[in-house]
Amino acid sequence: MENNRSNIPSISPAAVVVTAIFLLVSVIGINWFTTFVPQILPEQASAESKSVDELFYILVIIGGVVFFLIQGMLLVSVIFFRARDDDRSDGPTYHGNPLLELIWTIIPSLVVVYLAVISFNVWNQNSEPKAAVNMIDGAETVIRVTGARYAWTHNYETSRLNPEGAPIVINSGDKLHTYIGQNVDLELRTQDVIHSYWVPAMRVKQDLLPGDPEAGGRPTEIRFTPVRVDGVEYPAEYPIVCAELCGDGHGRMRGTVVVYEDEAQFMAEFYEPAIHAILNPPADPVLRGEIVIQEYICNSCHTLDSLGWSSRTGPSMNGIADRAGERVAGQSAEEYIAISVWNAQAFVVPGYNEQMAVFGPDQTDANKMSAEQLYAIVAYLCTQGEQSDCDNENNTVAIPEAIKTAFGLEVDITFGQGDDEAESATSETDDEAGESEQDNAETSDASQ
Amino acid sequence: MATIAVPLEAQAEQHEAEAVRRPALSEYLRWSVDHKIIGVQYGVASFLFFLVGGAMAMGIRLELWTPTLDLMVSGSAYNSLFTMHGTIMIFLFIIPMWAAFGNFVVPLQLGAKDMAFPWLNAFAFWLIPPAAIVILLGYFVTPAEAGWTSYPPLSTLFSGDGQTLWALGAHLLGISSIMGSINFIVTILNMRPPQMTVWRMPLLCWAVLATSIIAVMATPFLAGALTLLLLDRVAGTTFFDAAGGGDVLLWQNIFWFYSHPAVYIMVLPGMGVLSEVLSIHCRKPVFGYRMVGLSSMGIAFVGFTVWAHHMFTSLQPELRIPFMITTMIIAVPTGIKMFSWLGTIWGGKMRFTSALLFALGFMSMFVIGGITGVMLAALPFDIHVHDTYFVVSHFHFVLFGGSVFAIYAALYHWFPKVTGRMMNERLGRIHFAFTYFGFLFTFFPMHIVGMLGMPRRVAVYDPNFTEWNQLISFAAFVLGFSTFIVVYNVIHSYFHGPVAGANPWRALTLEWATTSPPPVTNFADDPIPFEDPYGYGTEASVAYLEAVEAAFDGGRPGS
Amino acid sequence: MTSYVDRQEKAKFGLDRDAEMRLKNNRLGMTIFQASWIMVFFALIVVNWQLRFSYAQWPPAGVTPFDPLLPSAATLALLLSALLARGGWRQLRRGQLGVFLNSWRLALALGLVFMALIMVEFAAVSDAALATQYGVTMRLMTGFHVAHALAILAVMLRVYRNAARGSYSGDPHDSWPVEGTVKLWYFVTVAWLLFYVVLYWIR
Repeated sequence: MENNRSNIPSISPAAVVVTAIFLLVSVIGINWFTTFVPQILPEQASAESKSVDELFYILVIIGGVVFFLIQGMLLVSVIFFRARDDDRSDGPTYHGNPLLELIWTIIPSLVVVYLAVISFNVWNQNSEPKAAVNMIDGAETVIRVTGARYAWTHNYETSRLNPEGAPIVINSGDKLHTYIGQNVDLELRTQDVIHSYWVPAMRVKQDLLPGDPEAGGRPTEIRFTPVRVDGVEYPAEYPIVCAELCGDGHGRMRGTVVVYEDEAQFMAEFYEPAIHAILNPPADPVLRGEIVIQEYICNSCHTLDSLGWSSRTGPSMNGIADRAGERVAGQSAEEYIAISVWNAQAFVVPGYNEQMAVFGPDQTDANKMSAEQLYAIVAYLCTQGEQSDCDNENNTVAIPEAIKTAFGLEVDITFGQGDDEAESATSETDDEAGESEQDNAETSDASQ
Repeated sequence: MATIAVPLEAQAEQHEAEAVRRPALSEYLRWSVDHKIIGVQYGVASFLFFLVGGAMAMGIRLELWTPTLDLMVSGSAYNSLFTMHGTIMIFLFIIPMWAAFGNFVVPLQLGAKDMAFPWLNAFAFWLIPPAAIVILLGYFVTPAEAGWTSYPPLSTLFSGDGQTLWALGAHLLGISSIMGSINFIVTILNMRPPQMTVWRMPLLCWAVLATSIIAVMATPFLAGALTLLLLDRVAGTTFFDAAGGGDVLLWQNIFWFYSHPAVYIMVLPGMGVLSEVLSIHCRKPVFGYRMVGLSSMGIAFVGFTVWAHHMFTSLQPELRIPFMITTMIIAVPTGIKMFSWLGTIWGGKMRFTSALLFALGFMSMFVIGGITGVMLAALPFDIHVHDTYFVVSHFHFVLFGGSVFAIYAALYHWFPKVTGRMMNERLGRIHFAFTYFGFLFTFFPMHIVGMLGMPRRVAVYDPNFTEWNQLISFAAFVLGFSTFIVVYNVIHSYFHGPVAGANPWRALTLEWATTSPPPVTNFADDPIPFEDPYGYGTEASVAYLEAVEAAFDGGRPGS
Repeated sequence: MTSYVDRQEKAKFGLDRDAEMRLKNNRLGMTIFQASWIMVFFALIVVNWQLRFSYAQWPPAGVTPFDPLLPSAATLALLLSALLARGGWRQLRRGQLGVFLNSWRLALALGLVFMALIMVEFAAVSDAALATQYGVTMRLMTGFHVAHALAILAVMLRVYRNAARGSYSGDPHDSWPVEGTVKLWYFVTVAWLLFYVVLYWIR
């Protein structure tokens, strides 16, 4: 156990010089490497992304010093301390150096403390609640996000009222619309399993946790503020990705953040048209159905070429009207489609399993669907086929009848009979959210 | 300084005569309480599982060659593929593989005749095959497809019967691991020769001790979590179902309280192996022996306080900061090990054996896993890369760049002791080159696709990442190919390798002070360990080595 | 030749060192097993604790809290049983087989009393409580504990019958089964005390 210093050719001035050279090389190497940083991270589209990337930059520099130091010393060892073939001696009997060990305990500790402090600061800065969130039209708006296998749904509870005095809810499907400088603050809920809402360009991510539905779920929150990215044409689009394994279609569970240049563009290109469309749904149920069906997450499981859907979890809806009449004896095509939408378990297409959720007026959030919306969807699906089994000439009669047979619900077919002007007040909201649905139906009954 | 003979292949070939009888192959297929037989049983079984899990990894990379679903029939099939890959690699490969080396080497290093509880030892091993069968039986129903982490409610309300089988199998493996670990702790604490104080214990024993302490304290939490999962799935309870008053984060807390320490269960023995291999093949004492031993304990201790960093995106925001701090602290004892190893090789006389190459490969790759570990601990950055390919890359740098490289180092190092034959060094070097570069180019680019926005566990991804993924897949196939080289090397060397002799590496620890393979009772008499397990370079050590050589190899010419 | 154990010890007991080693290993192994397996019980306590936070109050609204009277009696029985088992084991080491058998009989009986009382508690959980995690976690914990207690009572019974046949002397080496069983019974007692406090006294 002798600790003979003469035995130590290793900790020599040469070693110090070599280490110094490697430190120098590492500094140069890191500088070179950091030129790639913009290429290995997505664009910095939010205020948060700037501070997170700065932190990453510091982590890369410190990590780089450690990396080059250790790889460098390994390389030096491999080159200089290789035993020649004829050398059968042992190395120096050198058991350690308490000072050196103290140094390489203390320096990493200090570095770690430093990193913890700066990470804490960035975290604090990014997670601080902001005043004036989701400002639209001078008012704070609640934006609710629902994750369901395998799609995102965004609902804006606007400050505008429909003719019945209830707030209008815009359903923008898998798209989140925002504008530069808006303090986005989303309320996240899941319908089934854990999902994770991730916008890589914003550097934010938050899990959606299942909660007791009777207690309103277990909402989580995610915040970010879009900023201008140079050289980008607005409106700009950034992907939303599900980052927590949620099942078969996890990889497909994607959405888009649409960032507008300013509030004016946001209002003109998204908000006002959306409100207008809600207040003035097309009179033709087929046209309306084409809009309504896209507000639901059918695309996450079904294929429908006319809308560009290609998922294979559930049966294909191409040509559904050609088959619908023959599926169940004694059931009309309209009835079959209506039942398949609200209560898919009633008839599971052979080869598929009972995965599809139940829809209806009693369901919550993304599964809430009024009889009027069902009417529109059935009308649209009835057009999907070469020689439809449906009575498409008389869809305003046949479909309400089918819905009545299947569910015992009256459909108000005057729903959406309004003309193009917002003032003609018999129109309905055709979004699925909000309690206004039934009220709307009643009101339009009354206005008849 | 006296000269020391080096185990050159040419020299070893002179040892034509078979020194000691090797156990017949049939003995490995039977119930046996001999720790050496059990060690080989563990090793061969886990290596077979490694091949199965590796084939699954190839399937994953094949699927990811294109951004769409093409090889697999459905997303679920892909999900079950990576679920099984993870489960097999963790529970059926790395953890039992360390039990293999621990079983074979630890009693020998302690100069003991066997483990403390030989029967329990055999029982722990024989739980593994039925557990594996139970898990793989899932393929006859609906296989587990909720990832190896099995987060409810995906694993409870939305999974098929394979998930139940998965939980049962994992339960058995947990119990096997607890029994094995109790055995290791008792063996190491009680069965040392009187001259061997804990401060003279080989560092592999230190590492196995630390590992076993983690395993006995943490694995019961896995048992608890799996019990709840099974009850939720089978008995209709609602521990994880919010609609029935349950909490999905309950699973994450209990599961990670086991599964984060499990990472150290998988890595610490590798660190012990590294200390052995570096010191022996560089002919130099381990630098800072005490700190290396104590840092194992430090890692074991701090490892229990960091679990919630796996929940950075689901935990309440206020609770995230303390876990960020503890996670960063773990970098310090890990750094101590890394620098001590550098101190060990610095100024040594390195013999570039395959074992040393893999040990150096471990250092070179593990440091990347360590650096990205600190990056992931930094909460704001983790929020961005949590559950992405960055994380996939990070833990493969730790578990492949760390554990698997160390397993290969241990294989090349102790194969002569186990079989009495040397492995082919040239093939070993080729194997190293393929593994090192295949590994680097498989997993390094994953950092980048992760940061750019590719989440983990997806079969369908953004087509922008296609080129990156093709590079990764190509490198992965190279890495997969490298495994065939070592399989061939092992089989060929077992039958045709040069005879090794008792102490081919001229090492000072006790396992080399007996014949290769050791006789049934390990040592004819109570062996007296050399005063310092890593005291290379002293005249006393040379004298000791010469004595060992004279005793076992009869002072043949060339020795 | 060097020996693992102190030669003095060997002279004292007149045993070969393998037996000495075995006893030493058994004792340490038992300690580690206890330290390890108690963690499962801690895991279940964590389950109980975390699920409390799913509810606004604990026990949840509309659920009557468990009456601690019966479980307290059971706890007392278990504690007495453990003490008797320990006392019996000490008497056996002094060679008092008769005293050992008597205490052990009583310990077994008290153990059965404990089991019976806990099973009554288990069966008596109200439907209102079972509709919440309050009742479910209680059943999970007591059920898990009773399974352990039952297994170890069976071992105690077997040890008792072996002892009655005169299998164990006062020598710690050949009466390790008695010592081990007593230690397992301690384990059951400690595990129950943890559960008892969590289930009945921490609200």
